[in-house]
Amino acid sequence: MKTDKIWYVTGASKGLGLTLVKKLLATGYKVAATSRNAATLSEAVGAGNSENFLPLEVDLVDEQSVAESIRRTQEVYGKIDVIVNNAGYGIGGTIEELSQEEISEAFNINVFGTINVIKYAMPYLRAQRSGYIINISSIAGFAPATGWSIYAAAKHAIIGLSESLADDVRQLGTKVTAIAPGAFRTQFLTKESLVFAENSIEDYEEVHASHDKFHKMNGNQLGDPEKAAEVMIHLAESDNPPVRLYLGSDAYRRASAKLGTLTQMLEDWKDTTLSTDFQE
Amino acid sequence: MENSNQKVWYITGASKGLGLALVKQLLNEGKKVAATSRSIEELKKAIGDADNFLPLQVNLLSEESIEKSIQATVAQFGRVDVIVNNAGYGLAGALEELTDVEARQNFDVNVFGSLNVIRKVLPYLRKQQSGHIFNVSSIGGFTGAFPGFGIYCATKFAVQGFTESLAEEVKPFGIKATIVSPGYFRTDFLKDSSLSVPKNQLQEYKTVRDVQSAHENEINGNQPGDPHKAALAFIRTAEMQNPPVHLFLGQDAYAMAEVKIQSVKENMEAVREYAAATGFDN
Repeated sequence: MKTDKIWYVTGASKGLGLTLVKKLLATGYKVAATSRNAATLSEAVGAGNSENFLPLEVDLVDEQSVAESIRRTQEVYGKIDVIVNNAGYGIGGTIEELSQEEISEAFNINVFGTINVIKYAMPYLRAQRSGYIINISSIAGFAPATGWSIYAAAKHAIIGLSESLADDVRQLGTKVTAIAPGAFRTQFLTKESLVFAENSIEDYEEVHASHDKFHKMNGNQLGDPEKAAEVMIHLAESDNPPVRLYLGSDAYRRASAKLGTLTQMLEDWKDTTLSTDFQE
Repeated sequence: MENSNQKVWYITGASKGLGLALVKQLLNEGKKVAATSRSIEELKKAIGDADNFLPLQVNLLSEESIEKSIQATVAQFGRVDVIVNNAGYGLAGALEELTDVEARQNFDVNVFGSLNVIRKVLPYLRKQQSGHIFNVSSIGGFTGAFPGFGIYCATKFAVQGFTESLAEEVKPFGIKATIVSPGYFRTDFLKDSSLSVPKNQLQEYKTVRDVQSAHENEINGNQPGDPHKAALAFIRTAEMQNPPVHLFLGQDAYAMAEVKIQSVKENMEAVREYAAATGFDN
């Protein structure tokens, strides 16, 4: 198997990002990986001083920090081929409970960090007339669950910008995939990756009860992160990766159900939809 | 049972576009309307004086400003029933071209402003155990098949995401939420006042430049949607017992929604082996 592609993976100290980086290194790829803390990252990856691994301490919300990390990757490995925008965290709570600051922070990491990486990687990808960008969304970015409004908003945003980006950069030789994973057995459902609204309003007892279910699901998620990593590697080596990829049988099931609901709603309200054009 | 004429509307971004058309129609029908804009003068100029009309100068990024405007609405009309988060603007440009400031401003107005209104109005709606929140997204919030509008699509997708969740979280209180996804309507939307373009434009993004120019020229003024009829559709939907979570407006929106649903289906089938390949073996 050819392993000459250079990868750049954000949020690599845990979860799908960590599994991916380990798999890439084991397969023989060169990987630049980012985390808020380079020491934690190196320890988690355990690659020692391998020349195939470039740990980068990056604040994804800081444009200069992002730009510098990409410049450094280019400098060390001579090119960048695959970008994986994986950094992110879940945020639970209703819109009324979540504060402006909590929402802003969730968008900073889940949306603006991804935008920053794309913005500073594109000059390199354009110059080499090739590249592949994987943006990790979530099944919540297409079929949200109750009590995850802001997480759903951020992950929807990722799908929206990925679809549009795919069209913008196709003629420049860059491909784009938004991946919408279901539940994978990572640390995602532990308190390191999930944040809840500080302000809890009693009235929303149904939402709070549904949050408890998520905690109980921890450790029993259907998805195997190793296999998700294999799929990403396979996608990066394929000629025509899809713009959207739902990952996991649970994601597939929820997306199918959502399509059914949408089709029904579109038809049920067709008369209203078609009633608003000018007659000419 | 209350008469729908007694419903009180609160509409953001009402000095132009769909918001303005909606306010005018509501006032024609004798309904009570509180309407917001950054400038109260513009609002008064656009709408004039009417008994049932409360013009409000509001900064949608300030929770305090929003809270005051909702208090004023309730003080004037006794209650608030239908919220229309309509304020927003279009932003063209490739992701690489737009600065962090340009992208964040679009999110501020199109996403965070609406969230602020929802957060501040829900205590009133929960208390009265009724209400209807319309969040105006766009067909560009349902399909990203709009090259050169990546950030705008991201903002409008975000609106769809949180509204779907919102609809579920407020259902126990008798509150409804609807995402409105208009196609192209003949408003000021594609004029300089509503459509922003990047300061830093890269000619290499040919698709983006072509799309931008098409919107500023050919499409502007020739949009198929009639804002007055959109207003009628809002009003009808607000009177429904069971309004939809998704409401698409315009033949173009309908056609694009169909294409999107179809392409997701095809996408899913084509890569089904991946979707099913990631479960644990046990």
